[in-house]
Amino acid sequence: MGDDSSDGEFLRSPSAQQHEPVFRSPSVYNPLDTFRLPPGQERQYQQQYGDMYFLRLAKLKPAVEKVAIDAWEGFSIAGEHARHVDRVLDVRQGELCWVAGTIYMEMPLKPNILEDLMKENFTLAPPPRPTYQDPSHPELTDIMLEDESGRLRLTGSKLASVQLATGVIIAVLGTENANGDFEALDIKVPDLAPQPQRWERDDAPQTSEGSKKGKIALVSGLGITGTSSDNLTLELLADYLLGYTPSSASGHNDESLADASGITRLIIAGNSLGASTIGDVLSLENGVQGKKAAQHKKYGYDASAYNASPITQLDSFLAELLPSIPITLMPGETDPANFSLPQQPIHRAMFPRARAYCAPQPTGEGKAEPGWFDSVTNPWEGDVEGWRFWGSSGQNVDDVLRYLSFADEDGNVSVDGDVEERMRVMEAMLRWRCAVPTAPDTIWSYPFQTDDPFVMQACPHLFFTGNQPRFKTAVIEGGLPLKLNGEDTEMGGTDEDAPLPTVRLVSIPKFKETGELVLVDAGTLEVEVVRFSAFAGKEENQ
Amino acid sequence: MAVADFKKYLAENVLNERRPVTYRSLGRALRVHSTLAKQMLYEFHHTENTKKPHSVNATYIITGTQKITGPTTTNGVNANSHHNDDDEIMPSSPYISSSMPNQDAAADQVPISSVLLVREEDLEDAKATFESISTIHVYSLQPTTLQDLNVLTDVGREMLVNHASEDPLQYGKQWGMIQNTNVKRRTGARPPPPTPGPTSTVPAKRPAQSEPPQLSKTETKEEHTQTKPAQRQSTPSTKPADKPAPVNKEKGSLFSSFAKSKPKLKKEESSTPAASGAESVEPSGAEDVLLDDASEEEPEELFPESKKQPPSEIRESRKEREERLKKMMEDDDDEDEEMADAAEPPDEPSAPIDQPPPKQEELKVEATVRGGRRRGRRQVMKKAVKKDSEGYLVTVEEPSWESFSEDEPTPPPPPRKKPVVSAPKGKAGAKAGQGNITSFFGKK
Repeated sequence: MGDDSSDGEFLRSPSAQQHEPVFRSPSVYNPLDTFRLPPGQERQYQQQYGDMYFLRLAKLKPAVEKVAIDAWEGFSIAGEHARHVDRVLDVRQGELCWVAGTIYMEMPLKPNILEDLMKENFTLAPPPRPTYQDPSHPELTDIMLEDESGRLRLTGSKLASVQLATGVIIAVLGTENANGDFEALDIKVPDLAPQPQRWERDDAPQTSEGSKKGKIALVSGLGITGTSSDNLTLELLADYLLGYTPSSASGHNDESLADASGITRLIIAGNSLGASTIGDVLSLENGVQGKKAAQHKKYGYDASAYNASPITQLDSFLAELLPSIPITLMPGETDPANFSLPQQPIHRAMFPRARAYCAPQPTGEGKAEPGWFDSVTNPWEGDVEGWRFWGSSGQNVDDVLRYLSFADEDGNVSVDGDVEERMRVMEAMLRWRCAVPTAPDTIWSYPFQTDDPFVMQACPHLFFTGNQPRFKTAVIEGGLPLKLNGEDTEMGGTDEDAPLPTVRLVSIPKFKETGELVLVDAGTLEVEVVRFSAFAGKEENQ
Repeated sequence: MAVADFKKYLAENVLNERRPVTYRSLGRALRVHSTLAKQMLYEFHHTENTKKPHSVNATYIITGTQKITGPTTTNGVNANSHHNDDDEIMPSSPYISSSMPNQDAAADQVPISSVLLVREEDLEDAKATFESISTIHVYSLQPTTLQDLNVLTDVGREMLVNHASEDPLQYGKQWGMIQNTNVKRRTGARPPPPTPGPTSTVPAKRPAQSEPPQLSKTETKEEHTQTKPAQRQSTPSTKPADKPAPVNKEKGSLFSSFAKSKPKLKKEESSTPAASGAESVEPSGAEDVLLDDASEEEPEELFPESKKQPPSEIRESRKEREERLKKMMEDDDDEDEEMADAAEPPDEPSAPIDQPPPKQEELKVEATVRGGRRRGRRQVMKKAVKKDSEGYLVTVEEPSWESFSEDEPTPPPPPRKKPVVSAPKGKAGAKAGQGNITSFFGKK
């Protein structure tokens, strides 16, 4: 629009210039219902959680065994060939073999449901811990391999160098030592699941223009608390997404702000509401040795304590954006949805204004068209612009991280270390083919009976995690599906003849803390960041 | 175009009322494009400050790329002073067989662009933190420097409230919003209640508010009727039926509103204008207030053009019916009241008896002296059971006249006078009236 320099466009007297309407690129969107639970009464909570582990093992064992066979077939030490053992209990002492199973980690600080029951504090969620490990007694951590037959304790230096968490399916090569422990020599994981082609489920738009220009916006942790203090950056965000904030004027190009009209969809990855509202209630419930809390203690629901303003503000934020941009909203830990994973969509009744953009009530069978405003599950899987997205609001990464020591091999724990660790956890999840391994052990989960949706059937193109402390991105590549060189190697990645599945990992920071919006290029999955903030000037420094 | 008005508008708001104005609120108020609004703000800021320095203060938005190494000034509010969010080499993970992929990718950094809100005073400092600036524009104008930039959010909220009736799909183009041709909005949806924040406290109050006028009305009427029976004659018969209800239930606002609406069902259409004035909010009226208060309270809906759709109407009428049904079922105790109601009417008609002007009483006295009998006509309530249009049996009280003749003329008047005396006390009056009824029946 600007005919002269960009400054001149706004810092000048009003002009009679006509403003052509700007149109947003269309969004191709096809969500999957992987994590949607059956409605209402069909949801059963009577089942045993153990079934989930068996389901997972049954699903992933073939995959990991295939990897293991590729790697270890013909492997021999001192003339002894590694033998495949089918069940954990069939391992014989002193015999070189490999076996597949589920990891179970016994950790000193891990919440234990039996203990909780014994202490009769089973009514409250255990307080979150930074880690389940006891740093002063690392030896208290037991790593075990189990399947339907039994358990095997794993030892060996190899374990120290890999990340493991309860619920992960692996194959281990080694021997059982005199103590009855299994000395692990090598470990294999299922590695990346088969990756679908782009546009596998949708028709690609004919013109390349859309894909060239398009961007997908990811944000998480809006943290609306209803107070005015958290809204300024939110307003700047809305202004930008609606196109009021001038993006690059004609003269400038790639290094300036991305054109908002190219953003085809906004994905909000959880924690749209601030924690403090819930935190207050929680501390009240906990009755933190509270004298005051006790005074106010009432039986039942105290309507006077309810503060509707966070959700109404979120509603008006969404309603403001929706006329211009389609939104996918995932619930998070602090959002008004069920707590256990998979979290079900935030009900549309929460959004009296935004719900006008929801999909119509599903009528009978037949898959309904996704709504313009799509309130989805957490985790969530779906196709955006042809790419497969797989994302969560961050609980899975947070929880797996508690199983791992923050100190890496060198023993240093830096601020960045945590962020890197999170990236590594995300990568590991993809290679485990299980994005929420620690459910149902330490993440509350729905007791799935016939299917474990946390097992990844298909490898996504973009794997995102919300509510992380920092923005971070990386690209990983899968190994070759078939590797016939029998050598046990870590760095075999020189093959370049087959198209490797590549996955873009994005950890989305909390918007409330960082003011950062992540933009993903729909053509290349390149990532960029837009940061919204207010400049703390002299006024506040005084 | 409202270009000419903008100075007036800004002068009024910024200079006189000393309120901050953002480009969006200006754009909405004058219905101009956001770019134009920004230019207007700039123009106003420029001219006013040349006239009189520091009369108007501005905040700016700077967009562009910030320097990687300049976090010193951008801490505090600007919490994001970490600047090395670049693509990172994935440290080789133990499982990875072939994954040292982004060694080369490590070179390319993730581009970070910034949108920074800056006070006028800090503009130069802020500019210095940018490596390249793509645009600067005025965000808001206010009379003095803002201590707290969060004040500006209130402007935005106010703007949303004030312009809630403007459908963004319709006006968005005018404002310069990015248009989307694919928007899917359900048209059948209920018109959303417009303003969030402020309404939240109101609901509780609402029913209560609507209550008092009714009460006072009926109450004053009561006084009227009792002090001046003659006047009542025109509006008499049906009215009394619902009088006790409000008086008894004064406190339970919610239920009283139901209860009040109920008698009307039993009444005939002939209900007096006064009575229906107070009550004729349809039976569901009270409920409406409770459920839909937000929309009721601000008739200015987000999308005024969409009328009440049939579905909701149907639902309402069903609700109504359920309501009535429930009332009929549950109201055994109400039945008691009805007895009282039923009892009262005869009493009041009896007032007309003596009343056919008070003079008559004197006459009557004379008559008794003569040992004569009293004769006359009086109005009584008769109950009739009918089937209504929906097939429910409904007891309807109807006024009818009957003639009478009786002895003992004088005794009745004195007790009847008591209520007249106590009437001004409101409730007490009602009670007295009831006592009166029994005595009346007792005599009969």
